[in-house]
Amino acid sequence: MGRRGRFDQRGEIAIISTRQAHFAPRLSRFLALCCLALGCLALAACDAPQSALAGAGRESAEVASFFWVMLAAAALVWLAVMGVAVLGVFRPPARVTERAARWLIVGGGVVFPTIVLAGLLYWGLGLLAERNTAEADLRITVQGERWWWRVTYERPRVPADDDPQRGRASSAIARVVSANEIRLPAGEPVEFVLHAQNVIHSFWIPSVAGKMDMIPGRETRLVATATRPGVYGGVCAEFCGTAHALMRFAVVVEPKEAFETWLRAQAAPARKPLASAGARGADLFVSSGCGACHRVRGLIEAGEVGPDLTHLASRRTLAAGIAPMTGEALVRWIRSPQSMKPGALMPAYAMLPPDEIDAIAGFLLGLE
Amino acid sequence: MSTGAKEELRRTSGSGTDLWNVVQPPTIWAVHFLISYLAAAILCARADRTAPLDPVFWTVMTATAVALMLIALVVLRLWRVEKFSTVDEDLEFERNTPEERHRFLAHVSLMLSVLSAVGVLYVAMPVLLIDTCR
Ligand code: HEC
Ligand SMILES: [Cu+2]
Repeated sequence: MGRRGRFDQRGEIAIISTRQAHFAPRLSRFLALCCLALGCLALAACDAPQSALAGAGRESAEVASFFWVMLAAAALVWLAVMGVAVLGVFRPPARVTERAARWLIVGGGVVFPTIVLAGLLYWGLGLLAERNTAEADLRITVQGERWWWRVTYERPRVPADDDPQRGRASSAIARVVSANEIRLPAGEPVEFVLHAQNVIHSFWIPSVAGKMDMIPGRETRLVATATRPGVYGGVCAEFCGTAHALMRFAVVVEPKEAFETWLRAQAAPARKPLASAGARGADLFVSSGCGACHRVRGLIEAGEVGPDLTHLASRRTLAAGIAPMTGEALVRWIRSPQSMKPGALMPAYAMLPPDEIDAIAGFLLGLE
Repeated sequence: MSTGAKEELRRTSGSGTDLWNVVQPPTIWAVHFLISYLAAAILCARADRTAPLDPVFWTVMTATAVALMLIALVVLRLWRVEKFSTVDEDLEFERNTPEERHRFLAHVSLMLSVLSAVGVLYVAMPVLLIDTCR
């Protein structure tokens, strides 16, 4: 590079910096605003029930601390690089030997990243190893369906029937089938066994644990320990078709005793509808053919194409987390599932007279 | 023929490195990765989830030692090319001569060797921490 080249380069830099001076106040105000907005967003997200930084689970708390350390380190590296760049532009050229320059490149560009990345890899792998060896008494099998979640609770290591001492009144619950909402006992490790019916999904409760793919024909596992009671959000995190974005679920973390009480209640069949509206609704539910796809234990146990509805009203949300569990939402869902969830695989029942739909909705709301 | 004369001859004839040298280190890395991955995959496909990974540990360790040794051999040879080319700082990198090409390739290959060695070490790391198929 000759003298001319250098001269040109300087000239260009000079032009840029006058322009910068002109724009600087406006630009820096704009940048400050952006930073403020982003900061607020980030802080707001930390408290949200669906934030990976909420730390409501052992695994997510580990990942979150990993994230903060990485963020701090990345900020330091960024500052250092920018500092060197600024120095390079504004400081008068110093005499640096080729040797020193070479060492800067080898040290900062090869040795430093290699060591830092090795450290991060070691830490990350350590988290993985620990997570994978945790033992869990409670197993929750979740199967991704289009576009909802089939959920089964089991305690594989507690013999339910062969143990006479525990008896029927004991807490040994063999198998409880539910859907679209997951309850977790606080402080107890839980093993999620994940399946997919026909397309790939991904199971993710950001506040409690990392995500895990659900793959047809395969079984994936995830051990997680929820720590802080509360209601959190879960999502399908892998595009799975039309209603992918409407495939969510609520996660309720509660103290262990409350969880056991709830699990026992879920294991029981549906209470016989007492009120006459409920009885009529139950009859209509059966006669309209809902039972071909839905199970209401104690009433009709034929189909299982759709979610188990035995204790539907004990869930917070309807149709995989997209609406609150209210009468209006139920009526609307039965009349036209596709108007709430485009692509939903339940047929619309708009041909039923409104009073029959109301009766069915009333019956369903009684299924606690 | 003395080594100096030999190098002089090589230098003028413009040999020393070629594309084969450049692909060697990444290939070693790739084969090491394949061996490690396949060993773990085959063991875990046959055994159940709690099976210990001991055989895989030894396979990966052996593969790692061999891979690093092979990369070291490549580096050693490249080092010589670099050295004999730079002894008298008269190389200008402005003409399209065989010597410049070879020196350039030697340099690329040397850096790829470093990258590949780091890659091999990183690939070997999981078996140090994870000891069952889970
Ligand atoms: C062809 C099978 C089929 C029939 C028949 C059917 N459904 Fe459904 N139903 C489904 C499927 C599939 C879903 C899940 C849809 C989704 O969330 O994507 C569903 C979801 C529901 C839900 C929401 C469940 C939850 O966990 O939130 C309710 C309530 C429901 N159906 C009620 C009914 C009623 C009442 C009838 C009869 C009038 C009926 N279904 C008939 C397949 C069916
Ligand atoms: Cu999905």
